[in-house]
Amino acid sequence: MTTDVADRDDVAHRADRVRTRRRGGLETTQWVALAFAAPLLVYLLGFYVYPLLRSVDLSVHDYTVRAFVQGDAEFVGLSNYREVISSPLFGKAIMNTVVFVGGSLIFQYAIGLALAVFFRSSFRLSGVLRALFLVPWLLPLIVSGSVWAWMMNSESGVVNFLLGIVGVDPINWLTSPDTAMLAVVIANIWLGIPFNLVILYSGLQNIPEDLYEAASLDGAGSGKQFWSITFPLLRPVTAITLLLGLVYTLKVVDIIWVMTTGGPADASTTLAIWSYREAFGTGRPDMSPAAAVGNILIVIALLCGLLYTYVQRRQEES
Amino acid sequence: MMHRRPWWKTVLGVVLTALMLFPVYWMLNVSFTQTGNLRSSPPHLLPLEPTLEGYRAALAQQLPNLGTSLLIGLGCVAMTLVIAAPAAYAMALLHLRGRGTLNFLLLVAQMLPAVVMAMGFYAIYVRMGLLNTVWGLILADSTIAVPFGVLLLAAFMAGLPRELMQASRIDGAGAWTAFTSIVLPLSRNSLITVSLFAFLWAWSDFIFASTLARNSALIPVTLGIYNYIGNNTTQWNAIMATAVIASVPAAFLLIAAQRYVAAGVTAGAVKD
Amino acid sequence: MITRRMFVTVGTAGAAALAAGGLAACTDAGSQGSADTFTWWDPYPQHDENSDWAQRVQAAGEAAGVTIERTAYDTTALTNQALLAAQEGTSPDIILLDNPAVPTLADTGMLSTTEELGLDISHIDENLLSAGQIDGSTYGIPVGANTLALFYNLEILEEAGVDPESITDWASLDAALEAISGIDRRGITFAGINTEEGSFQFLPWFWGAGAELTDLASEEAVSALELWKSWVDKGYAPNTVITNSQNTTWEEFLTGEYGFGENGTWQVNSAAEAPFEAGVIELPARDGGVAPAPTGGEFIVAPVQSDPDRYETTRTIIEAMTTTEGFVETAMTFAYYVPPTAEGQEQLLEEEPELETWVSAVQSAKGRTGDNLGVDYATISEQLWTAVQNALSGAAEPADALETAQAAAVEALGS
Repeated sequence: MTTDVADRDDVAHRADRVRTRRRGGLETTQWVALAFAAPLLVYLLGFYVYPLLRSVDLSVHDYTVRAFVQGDAEFVGLSNYREVISSPLFGKAIMNTVVFVGGSLIFQYAIGLALAVFFRSSFRLSGVLRALFLVPWLLPLIVSGSVWAWMMNSESGVVNFLLGIVGVDPINWLTSPDTAMLAVVIANIWLGIPFNLVILYSGLQNIPEDLYEAASLDGAGSGKQFWSITFPLLRPVTAITLLLGLVYTLKVVDIIWVMTTGGPADASTTLAIWSYREAFGTGRPDMSPAAAVGNILIVIALLCGLLYTYVQRRQEES
Repeated sequence: MMHRRPWWKTVLGVVLTALMLFPVYWMLNVSFTQTGNLRSSPPHLLPLEPTLEGYRAALAQQLPNLGTSLLIGLGCVAMTLVIAAPAAYAMALLHLRGRGTLNFLLLVAQMLPAVVMAMGFYAIYVRMGLLNTVWGLILADSTIAVPFGVLLLAAFMAGLPRELMQASRIDGAGAWTAFTSIVLPLSRNSLITVSLFAFLWAWSDFIFASTLARNSALIPVTLGIYNYIGNNTTQWNAIMATAVIASVPAAFLLIAAQRYVAAGVTAGAVKD
Repeated sequence: MITRRMFVTVGTAGAAALAAGGLAACTDAGSQGSADTFTWWDPYPQHDENSDWAQRVQAAGEAAGVTIERTAYDTTALTNQALLAAQEGTSPDIILLDNPAVPTLADTGMLSTTEELGLDISHIDENLLSAGQIDGSTYGIPVGANTLALFYNLEILEEAGVDPESITDWASLDAALEAISGIDRRGITFAGINTEEGSFQFLPWFWGAGAELTDLASEEAVSALELWKSWVDKGYAPNTVITNSQNTTWEEFLTGEYGFGENGTWQVNSAAEAPFEAGVIELPARDGGVAPAPTGGEFIVAPVQSDPDRYETTRTIIEAMTTTEGFVETAMTFAYYVPPTAEGQEQLLEEEPELETWVSAVQSAKGRTGDNLGVDYATISEQLWTAVQNALSGAAEPADALETAQAAAVEALGS
């Protein structure tokens, strides 16, 4: 059997070399590959590069509302960035972003993983239930945001009502600077569970059942099975899930905006909210600082992306 | 091979799902609630004085918008697959030079906030005459899913057995034939997964619709909801009724597609 | 056989698909009006194509000999869409714009003045027109104005022994709230959300104390904020006021648990249908009299167009919408925009005499961007609602919150 494959390999390689020798420059396959990727490349150029360039352009000029319409903004170099970084809100926004993203990711991942493991072996209704877990995704964010805002209303919210039944005092979820961030993190965790569930569940499906059977024959309990088999084999999937989760969570605006508009007293203002508020939240659109904050956000995401790539490469080498 | 189907798992599963869907239940609750009872304290766990006015309004006005949303969702799926699948094939199996960089760029592409994208698109669309068209909205919504789709499909395709690919080459099949007759059918599950994500993301998009397609003859349901948001007044039961009506068909779609989503997502990412 | 032709074919196919889509879409209507189509933007998405309002707009167009293509945006998006369109040179012919946004757009040079259009504004009430004026030029005509007043729940007030007519200043209002809290009901609810709505609802108290928007930290301003804070602290007002929009405030009032609710003209019909008997009084100033409340309502404005021949028709359309009958019809459509002219107000009162309190309130009202504040208002307002949030949520004392606000406003405006 193996000899056949080896023979076929040889023939294939020789055929490839023959073909390559007949053309100069790029290997033929490269042209084909380029052809297949061409729609994507055109797409990326038009739809991502252009908005990015505009955003950079907005941030290095002083776009007052008048200049925005007239198109004659003054070039101010990095002064928008300097202003933003030296603003008293900067430190707070960074802190809030870290808390928001960190808190969301950890719990989204943990709960998603727990659910994925729970659903791993199919049982009655497991398919239907798993699909129902995705329903939160169907809802427009204004709807989910509003529902959470109602549930967490200090006076008429069902959360305080249920807490009252078990004897806990009502909490001013959305109106107290101490708990506003907690409230939006909880809502965001809820929104992120479906994504994590789907990806992690699929990752679990690819771990062969035999490994688990061998382990249980050896007497390993489910806890040990999880930590020695499941978790290590899920590492690449975990990495991509967390990275994508990070990128998506950094951008989140709608849920926080609908629930608290970044308040009270900037308690739930993340970098994304700050950027949005500068551009659209007041009667005086401040496009340039908004773009500056937005670009800082992209840089942070970029650094995390580079970190991920570096770690991945190290892993592949080892 | 022991297949354990413990009933307690089903019970626990139902409880967990119920917990997760509680906010959705609340949405349902509000859709039947009269405006005067929306803020009653303590809150009504069941709509005690139900009203159908929200549903009447939604059914009378939102059905065409629902159709548009469906059209946009499906169009977005088609668009995403058309762009992402060949590119993933090129990256994973045709060994496109610079695929590492492209991989990274696709990650970066997802880092742009939606607002930045929408404003950039506005300028492009005005010049290309795509403003206020369904086609333009489909294009814009696909930008949400395409980078993710490429990453996912490339990861999966990279895990396809090498022998199959080489065998087909010997037989003289061109790259295109290999793509259509071997790779695509094998990638069915991940294609469906990408379709699911693309559909859901397009279905719930608001910001592109709002910036680029306000005056379109056909608007998606996320914009249609704003019929009920006046300058100073909001008709919440109608909004929630619209959301409920919009979710029902999509929920069935989810249940149908879930079976395929299972095994296809990350076959390539886990290298044993 | 893999050939270079394949690359060209597949690559071109991809690009062609995108281009074909673009071409196909070109056949759809663009957003720029043609000679016979005039574009109209307004912030009333709840009035769709089949509504009376839409038909009236069409009728105005037909009277001028053109078809009107109307787009309804939600009001928060309208200003930014208008700016984007102006940037691209595709401004619509007519916009109905929330009055505080008029100076912002006017300042960019994208709006025509009433002089340029040849419109007669002599009959329009000054206090309403000033919101759309910068440096002596007027940039549009108000289609009507609504404002705030104090709705009350008659049943609760009677139970507490409060006579609504006796509430003429802050002291009497405080006493009433105390009485209501004595019978275990909530006193008052309002909107303190950190958006323009919060500033809108705070201004009657701010102005009613005698404060001016040019000095946010004055003693009068502090007393107004301390009034609101005292209500929250004493439990007369619910904690939710910090995130309440005006709509939410009204929903709270409708539960029948509140003695007073600060809200606007647009709730008149809802108040009539409430499960309890509701009435309305004008908002009291600190030391007696009516507190000036801010005006809501849109201006009809005409963005600058590249083809000056269009202005003739635009003017005709605007004039059709702003006759006395036109104002009254608008008033009835938007339940209720008080007409901005004396004749209009008279005619409205003939048809709806119960609106007397509101007409009077509008006559005492002020435009937020009046007093030549113009573009500065938006910056000041942002600081004002931030200060209100900080004080009500306990993050800062009212005096400190307003000090910070004033300093921030001065800094932002100076740059």
